[in-house]
Amino acid sequence: MKNWLRQHRFAISVAFAHLRAAPAGFAFNVLVVAIALALPIAGLTLLENVRPLSEQLAVEPEISLFLQLDLPRTQALALEKPIAGLLSTAKVNAKINFVPREQALSSLQNRGALADVMATLGQNPLPDSYVLRLANYQSAQAAQHIDQLTEQIRTLPGVETVQVDSAWVKRLAALLNILRYALLFLAITLSVVVVVVVFNTVRLQVFTQIAEIEISKLIGATDAFIHRPFLYSGALLGLLSGGVALGSVALLLPPFNKLIAQFAHLYASEFQLQTLGLLASTILLSTSVVLGLLGAWLSVRRHLARSA
Amino acid sequence: MIEFQQVSKQYPGAGYALREISFTVARGELVFLAGPSGAGKSTLLKMIAAIERPSQGKVLVNQQDIGKLPSHSIPFLRRNIGLILQQQRLLEDRSNLANVMLPLIVLGASRQDAKQRARAALERLGLGDKVDAMPQALSGGEQQRVSIARAIVNRPQIILADEPTANLDRQAAQKVMDALHTFHAAGVTCLISTHDEQILASAARVIHLQAGQLLSAAPEFTAENGSHA
Repeated sequence: MKNWLRQHRFAISVAFAHLRAAPAGFAFNVLVVAIALALPIAGLTLLENVRPLSEQLAVEPEISLFLQLDLPRTQALALEKPIAGLLSTAKVNAKINFVPREQALSSLQNRGALADVMATLGQNPLPDSYVLRLANYQSAQAAQHIDQLTEQIRTLPGVETVQVDSAWVKRLAALLNILRYALLFLAITLSVVVVVVVFNTVRLQVFTQIAEIEISKLIGATDAFIHRPFLYSGALLGLLSGGVALGSVALLLPPFNKLIAQFAHLYASEFQLQTLGLLASTILLSTSVVLGLLGAWLSVRRHLARSA
Repeated sequence: MIEFQQVSKQYPGAGYALREISFTVARGELVFLAGPSGAGKSTLLKMIAAIERPSQGKVLVNQQDIGKLPSHSIPFLRRNIGLILQQQRLLEDRSNLANVMLPLIVLGASRQDAKQRARAALERLGLGDKVDAMPQALSGGEQQRVSIARAIVNRPQIILADEPTANLDRQAAQKVMDALHTFHAAGVTCLISTHDEQILASAARVIHLQAGQLLSAAPEFTAENGSHA
């Protein structure tokens, strides 16, 4: 055990010696790998921030029924029964919420951006409405079900307009899905780039250490002993690059959030991008270390296989 | 200790480097390999260290068949062999002490212990005042002695020296040979290839090779009388 630890200590000291021998080259490689890692990290940060938003919307799609403006309140309230009947026939779980026109107006007046507009109107232009909040709707098949239900609701007497948010929820979910796949593809492609960069960096180190490798083999060094310093170099390159990439994305978020805030304010939203959590950051750093190790291992293994 | 049984070595597209060689070297023996350039001396030494594998026949080192030795076992075989090559192959960016420490580091020795033993090995070879010098600052003979120190620092059972006195003047060559004789006297089995007639003249046993073939391998060491027959 002691011998094993000593050999690792020796390998670490050799890895740092490689770094000291060409610090500028090493820093340049860290930068290249960091840029490659920063792109998927930025994409993941965006997805991680948008995902909860889309999930929330997808889980509880809403159907809004706007009634005729001149429909008496008693008839409007009486519509709850046939609506519940249609939902029951369609075997759909939903919360039925009646929204009187006065409540709708007051809700709009409370929105800062729209308060001025509402103040200029002489009378309440809003009709009574129902909001049906459907439970556990995520699949495309279920959404199709909603479309059929919507058509049936539209035929109820006194109903002026029916709006379903499932359509744009579906579009958003589809868009996020595409983004997820695009990000996965980008991550895989750039992982290959990282491995290739580390592979080449270590290959250059191997070239400068050929004499040492040859002598080490002749005096009884195992392949593991020869691999170790280069693996530490690769891991260090991966770790530093991952750290620089995560740090860069975190540094870019505040100015980006300023732009988002201006845009979100138009929709009375407080949406802001948050940096990745500790767990996600740790996983990303570990991944970049593993990619560094893989590149280094492949590089040394290739050399040893060729020189065998 | 070392046994060659009908060993041949053929390189693809080339002739035989060795052809049907058989001989035995007992533990603690000092054997010289003689022959002109291209006779197969280096190939023979490389086979004992598993740098080359035989095309035919068997090379046994401590009863281990080198031809069948798996790759992962080769380093452990080499840890019992001190290899001295014609070109010293010292690391030029390391001090003499660091060069000699390397085999001990490979074995996992502590830095302190490795330093102590490497220093002792260098002092034993008369290089006590060159410990911290870089190899380039040394003469050819001194560099060869550093490589001998590196070969013996982990107390190997076998020393293989390939033309250790080539390109050295008489005085430097004598110092190198004296060092090798000292290790042989301490019980280390030594195989030394040379074409230096003066060295061969005083050798107890010489294996003569020519064009890959064995001309003579006698006299052989006998365990019964502890001397060359």
